[in-house]
Amino acid sequence: MKKARLNQADISKKSKLLCERMLADLEQAKRPVLEAVKCSLDNSFYKPSVGYLTPGDKRVRTELNVSSVQKLSRTVFMLEILLRNLGTGQVNTKRELYYISKGMVKHNKELKVLDFDEQTESDAIIDFISDMLEVYREELNCFANDRGGQTYSKQLIVEETLPNGKTATIDLSTLGTSPFQPKNKPQNLKLRKRGKIDFVLIVESEGTANTLVANGFTDRNKCIVIGAQGVPSNAVRGWARTIQNQLDVPMYFFGDLDAYTLQNIYRTLKAGSAASLIRNSEFSAPSVRFLGVLPEDVQQYDLHYYNVTEKDASELRSIKKAQDALKNDPFFQDKKNKKIAAILKWLVKEKKRCEQQAFWMVNPKDPVTPEKIILDKIKKGAWV
Amino acid sequence: MAQQTKIVSSSTAEYFAKNLQQVGFSSPTKAVLTTLKEAVDNSLDACEMAGILPELTIEIKKIGTGSQKNTDLIEISVEDNGPGLEAEDLAKVFGEYLASSKFGRGQCSRGQQGIGISAATTWAQLTNAKGVVVTSKTKRMRKAVQGLVNVDIKGNKGMFLNKKSIDWDKEHGLKVEFKIDGRIQLNGDGGLLTYLEGTTLLNPHVKFNYKLMDNPWVKIDRVSKDVPSIPPPTDPHPHTMKLGEFMTHAHIYGNMKVGKWLKTSFSRVSENVIKNFVKNGLEKKYLNQTLQKLSDEEFKKAYTAIQKTDLMSPSTKSVLTVGEESLAKSIRRMGEVDFFSVITRKPKICDFKPVVVEVAIARFLDRGGEHDDPVRLLRFANRVPLQFDKGNCAITKSIESVNWRSYGLSQPKNSLPRGPYIFAVSVVSPFIKFKNASKETIDASDELVEELRRALMQAGQNLSRHIKREARAADVERKKQHIEKFGPILVDTLARIVKAPEKRRKKAQDGLHKILGRDTKAEEQKLEVAEQRLMDLKAKRSHVLETNEEGEGASQEAPVTEVKAKKKKTATKKQAAKKKAKTASKKKATKKKTATKKKASKKKTATKKKASKKQATKKKTKAKKATKKKTKRTR
Repeated sequence: MKKARLNQADISKKSKLLCERMLADLEQAKRPVLEAVKCSLDNSFYKPSVGYLTPGDKRVRTELNVSSVQKLSRTVFMLEILLRNLGTGQVNTKRELYYISKGMVKHNKELKVLDFDEQTESDAIIDFISDMLEVYREELNCFANDRGGQTYSKQLIVEETLPNGKTATIDLSTLGTSPFQPKNKPQNLKLRKRGKIDFVLIVESEGTANTLVANGFTDRNKCIVIGAQGVPSNAVRGWARTIQNQLDVPMYFFGDLDAYTLQNIYRTLKAGSAASLIRNSEFSAPSVRFLGVLPEDVQQYDLHYYNVTEKDASELRSIKKAQDALKNDPFFQDKKNKKIAAILKWLVKEKKRCEQQAFWMVNPKDPVTPEKIILDKIKKGAWV
Repeated sequence: MAQQTKIVSSSTAEYFAKNLQQVGFSSPTKAVLTTLKEAVDNSLDACEMAGILPELTIEIKKIGTGSQKNTDLIEISVEDNGPGLEAEDLAKVFGEYLASSKFGRGQCSRGQQGIGISAATTWAQLTNAKGVVVTSKTKRMRKAVQGLVNVDIKGNKGMFLNKKSIDWDKEHGLKVEFKIDGRIQLNGDGGLLTYLEGTTLLNPHVKFNYKLMDNPWVKIDRVSKDVPSIPPPTDPHPHTMKLGEFMTHAHIYGNMKVGKWLKTSFSRVSENVIKNFVKNGLEKKYLNQTLQKLSDEEFKKAYTAIQKTDLMSPSTKSVLTVGEESLAKSIRRMGEVDFFSVITRKPKICDFKPVVVEVAIARFLDRGGEHDDPVRLLRFANRVPLQFDKGNCAITKSIESVNWRSYGLSQPKNSLPRGPYIFAVSVVSPFIKFKNASKETIDASDELVEELRRALMQAGQNLSRHIKREARAADVERKKQHIEKFGPILVDTLARIVKAPEKRRKKAQDGLHKILGRDTKAEEQKLEVAEQRLMDLKAKRSHVLETNEEGEGASQEAPVTEVKAKKKKTATKKQAAKKKAKTASKKKATKKKTATKKKASKKKTATKKKASKKQATKKKTKAKKATKKKTKRTR
C-alpha cells in the first residue's frame, strides 16, 4: 500500500525524535543505531500492478562504534543544516549544501574533522538522511539542478501555487517556441487541458524534441512533447508522473535503440531506479510505452545502424550491464515486460545500435517524414 | 661474365670480434660491466669447483682517456683466491673462444660456453691494443706466472706473451687486469654497484673487497661458510635430445649393445620403459645389436619410438639453490632490513629442464625508492645478476602478471608494483633459456612464468601479513583519534537539535566514551597480540641467524617459516605415529620375516648394480678418451 507522504513539519518532528532517541541511548551507554532502507537492486521488487520498483525488507543498519562515529557525526551535522532550512523555508542544491558545510567548518575549528573533501561525500550523507527518514530529498528542501523536461504543447495549462499563496497560471500555447520546464517538485503543479490531448511524446534527445516542435509537430497534433535530455532527472520523472496522474493520456517514449537507452533511460522513466526506491512511487510513469526505435523499424525503414565494437569501452560496459540487468533486474525479468526484455536480448546478441535521428534519413528532403512515421507507429500500435 | 664469388671460412674469434655487441659489449658502459661480470663469474666458478670459499678483490679506476670518442681508459682488476690455472692453460682460457671446462655439461655454473672472458680480452685488444694481463699461481707452483694474453683473431687461439715468474704472497689464486675503453656507471639498472650488490645477495659465501673509482674500499664479509657444491650433471633425458644429439651420444659408447646403452646412459629409462619403447615401434632385434651396427635410418626409427613413449620427467637433482636461510642472512648485508620474506621453491621441471626459483622481498630502513616509484627489481640467472632488457624477461613478466594489490601493494595495470621494496628473483637451472648470447633476459615460457608466479605469490602472502599488521596499527591510531575528535561533535549536535540541558549532554558524553573506550580497548588488545607475534617472529629469526653466524659447528636451523612448518609436521607426524603404532605392532611380526628376505635379495642386486655401474663408467671414460683422440686427429 502506498504510504502517505509526510509534510515538512512532520519531517522535522521525526528527525528530532530520532535525535532524542540517539541521545537517550548514549546517556545509557547504549549504542545508537540508525536504519535506512537498502536502496539497491537486490532489495528491489517489481509488480506490474504497482508499475514501479519498490523496496524489500532489507535495511542498512549503522551502529555507533569507533569506525562509524565519523559517519554518524557527519549525519547529525548535515541534519542540523537541513532542519534549519526546513524551519526557515530556505532551499539549496546539493552543491550549495556542500559549500554551506565547508563554510561552517571554516568558522569553527572544532568541526574541522567533519570537513568533506569532495561533494560526493556530502551527497552520500544527504542521501543517507533521505533514506533514513524515508523522504524525498526535495522534501528536505534540497533540489538538484533542473535538467530536462522541456515541454511543448498547445493544449496544456499549468497552475503553480507559489510559496506566498498566490497562483501562477502558465498557458503553454502562449510561450511560442520556448518550452515550459517543470521544477523539481512537479507534484505541486495542477494541470488543465484545453480540449482533447491525444498523446504525450517523451523524446530522449532534447534537440530532437525541439526539431519536431520547430517543424510544426505541436501545431498539427493535439499532444504534449517533452524532451528527456538523457537519463530522466527527478524533475522529468516527477513531471511525467504528474501528467499521468492528472491527464490520463497515452504516453510514448521515443529514443535510441540501444542497451543504454532501454536499461538506463526507459526503465528509469517507466519504473524508477534501484537507487531511489523510496521515491519511485512519485518519480516514475508506469503507463509510458516504448515507441521506438524498434528492431523492426530498422528493417522496415532501412535505417542506418552501428555495430557495437569491443573497442569502445563505454559501449562494451553498457552491453555487460544489460546482460546483468537481464539476469538480475526484476523489471526485465517480469513477464509483463518480456517484449522489452526480448529487444534488450536482441541488442546484446546482435551487438547493434540505431539512433532516433536515423528517421531523418528515410526521406531526407521531407522534414515531416519523421513525424509521419511517429504518428503512423502510434496509429498502428507499433510500440512495446 | 659474372665474377665468381669466393667462399671464405672465418674463425669463431673473427666472428665474435666483429659481433661483440652480441655478447654484452654494445656500449662503453656495458663493456666495463660485462668485463667485470665475466671476470667475477670465472673466479667464483673456479673457487666453487675447487671447494674454496671465494675472496675477491676488485678495483676499477679511470686511468686516462680512451682511444674511442667519448670514452675513458678504464682499468679493471679482479683478484681471487681460487685454485689458479696452469701456465699452459692461460692462453686457452683467456684467448680462445669456446674453450671451456663447462660447455654442455649440464651443471648450474655461471659460465657455460667459454665465450665471455675471451670476448673481454678481445675488447681490450681492440680498444687498447693489449689483451689481459694474467697472474696465476696454483698450489704446486713456488712462484706465480704472469703474462699478457692476446687473442689471435684469425686462428681463434690465445697467445701468452711476456711470460715471467714473480713472487706472490698467495698460496694460490688468479688475478686479471684489463685496460679497456669504457665509461663507468655506478648506480641504476646497468650500474657496477647494482651488479656487485646483486652478486653479494645471491652469494652469501663470498667475501668482497672492492674499490670503485675514488670511493673508499668496501669490505663485505661472508655470512655463510658453506661452499655451494654444484650438483653433478645427471644422465641426459631422451626427450630433451634432438636426433643428431641422440646419435652423437651413441658414438661415445662404441660397441655397447643398444638395450644396455639405453638403460645405462640415459636417465628415466628402465627395463619396463624399454618394453614400452618396443610397444611404440622399436624393433626388439635392435636391442641386442651393437651401436656401431645401427644404420642412420635405424637410429631414426629408434629415436621416434622413444619420443612416442611417455617417460618420467627429468631428474631435478642437478639444480642448486642458495636456500632461504642463506638468502635471509645475505639480505642483511645490504642494509638495515625493516621487513623481508624469502621463498625457495622445490626444484621443478619446466620445459623438460629442472629449474629452481627463489624469491626475496625486502624493505630497507635506509634505502629503496619512494612510495610512488616501482619496486627495485634484481633479476638473477644461475646466481648472476641480469641488468639489461628488463621488460622482455620472464621474471619481469611474471611479477607484472601477479595481482600485488591483493597483497597490499599499489600496482598500475600490467606493471611492476610500487613501493619502497626490493624484489630479488633468482632462476637456477643447468639449461636456462636466454634470449641472447649476452645472457641478459630469460625467455618467458608458460611453464617457467607459472613457476615464477607461484614463488612470487608465496612471498606476496608473507608480505601482505606484514602490511596488514602495519595497517592495523594505523587503524587503531585512527580510531583513537576518532573518539577524541568526533565524539564531542556528535553529542553536542544531538543536544542542540533536541535542545537538551547541559546535564544530559554531559551524561551522553560519558556514555559515548564508555562505548568507544570498549571498542578501542578491544582493538588495542588485538594490536598487542599482533605486535607480540611479530616480535616473537623477529626474535626467533634473529636467534636462528645468530646461532648460525657463531661458527661452522653450529646447528643448521631452518628459518622461522620452516621451523613452524617443521614443528607442525612433526606434531602431526607424532599423532599419526601414535595411531599407527598400535596397528603396526601387529603387522610387525609378520613383516619381519619378509623384510629380512627382501633385504638379502636387495643387497645382492645392489652389489650387482654397483659392479655393472663401475663397468659402465669405465667404458664411458674409455669411450670419451677415444672420441677426444678422434677429434684431435680431425683437427
